[in-house]
Amino acid sequence: MTVILAAIVLFALTLLFAGMLGIAKEKLKVQEDPRVPQIMEALPNANCGACGFAGCADFARALVEQRAPCDGCPVGGSGVADRIAEVLGIEVTRSFPYRPVIHCGAHTKDKKGIVAYDGVRTCSEANVIGVTQACVYGCLGFGDCVAACNFDAMRMDEGLPVIDYEKCTGCGACVKACPRRIIELIPFKQDRMLVIACSNKEPGRLVKQVCDVGCIGCKMCQKMLADVFEIKDNLAYLNYEQYTGQEDFAPVVAKCPADVMVYFGKPKPEYTEMLADTESVGASPPGNTL
Amino acid sequence: MTLGIGAMLGIFLSVALVNNLVLAGFLGICPFLGVSRKIDMAFGMGCAVTFVMTISGIVTWLIVHVVLVPIGTALGDPEALFFLKYVAFIMVIASMVQLVEMYVRKFFPPLYTAFGVFLPLITTNCAILGACLLIDMKPEYQNLLSATIFAFGGGIGFMLAITLMAGVREHIRFSDVPECLRGPAITLLVAGILALAFMGFAGIGK
Repeated sequence: MTVILAAIVLFALTLLFAGMLGIAKEKLKVQEDPRVPQIMEALPNANCGACGFAGCADFARALVEQRAPCDGCPVGGSGVADRIAEVLGIEVTRSFPYRPVIHCGAHTKDKKGIVAYDGVRTCSEANVIGVTQACVYGCLGFGDCVAACNFDAMRMDEGLPVIDYEKCTGCGACVKACPRRIIELIPFKQDRMLVIACSNKEPGRLVKQVCDVGCIGCKMCQKMLADVFEIKDNLAYLNYEQYTGQEDFAPVVAKCPADVMVYFGKPKPEYTEMLADTESVGASPPGNTL
Repeated sequence: MTLGIGAMLGIFLSVALVNNLVLAGFLGICPFLGVSRKIDMAFGMGCAVTFVMTISGIVTWLIVHVVLVPIGTALGDPEALFFLKYVAFIMVIASMVQLVEMYVRKFFPPLYTAFGVFLPLITTNCAILGACLLIDMKPEYQNLLSATIFAFGGGIGFMLAITLMAGVREHIRFSDVPECLRGPAITLLVAGILALAFMGFAGIGK
């Protein structure tokens, strides 16, 4: 008898509360776009925040309100971006992988004012001391970036790091490791991208005193292709938004008096064949002729 | 039975300070450690727990005294159906939490996203079930007013504890903590020291 009564009591209570919750659900309804749960199904749901939003739910809401790009999820990659575009019914814009490039072209032989340095052989230490070489903007050559790479994609080549773009994943560890901030992540719209291999903001004659291959700010590149090149603080900058890869950079590269423009990226097929026995290839020599 | 102001204050202070549910009773440690990173979140969590605890306290008291006792008396023993307490209380608490979640989602969306999974976790928060069961256990809380004050006081005590913890944690975030103690270790140590501090209230009230 007790058991039967107990069961009846519990059942009655259940009905009461279920009914109450049912009513509350209707009265406290939040109107949400039906696409949001569809998008949430496509997302990795790791709530890592790499997209810049507070978790996958927030990113999904931002997508529906068009506050976020389809390819905003780096963890999901292009697969997730395509599925999101499917749900939203829009064309997916092809996005490009971001890879690091080094804005310095000076090997040890090009640098001037190199001192016999007996201190801690790391870039961060040498940067603080500041007198290990004459140029205060350029690569120090002690390999903090190589040490930081988690994918074994970098090696040191006579004072300048070389990146193996087959192994590089664009994680940005090298960017954070460089104390002089000369490594930059750029969108790789093509396999080989043109880069200005210098970060020296001094006027030309002072640059010549510290380095053989530094940018002297002569504005020749800006005169030839004004929408892609810009000179600021005696240094040339490439506008990667305007960079379509269709431009003919060969005359600009040839005209540059400092030979400071180099190509970074996966090597040309002919080059790979030539160096078939080398482990990895990255930056080609300045004044790319290969 | 009417309660004087003194008696009401006594019940309130007893459960909020002397027998604080978190620091003296060691209930509700999960949200206490999980949501106490920032003061505004901790305060919000404290408010949510207070609300749920008060309503649950009242409803569970009503269930015991309006449903279980009369039916038990009809069967011969007023306490016959008391074994149903545990199941019924959890059901009440779960429904209340769902209600709070819906309410917060509608009227405070940023708080809702900030809480994330911790809001439904209030359901399994032993502090709430603990408060409801404690009301039933002690004879001095056997009338509705005392039960309500007890539940409300328990919630306020929880809010006090979690906000204090959040304040300390925000402060030590930028301190030089020894490497072996960083993270959960220093948090638990701080919680222990807070509990020790609240022990100073022991014996007051009786």
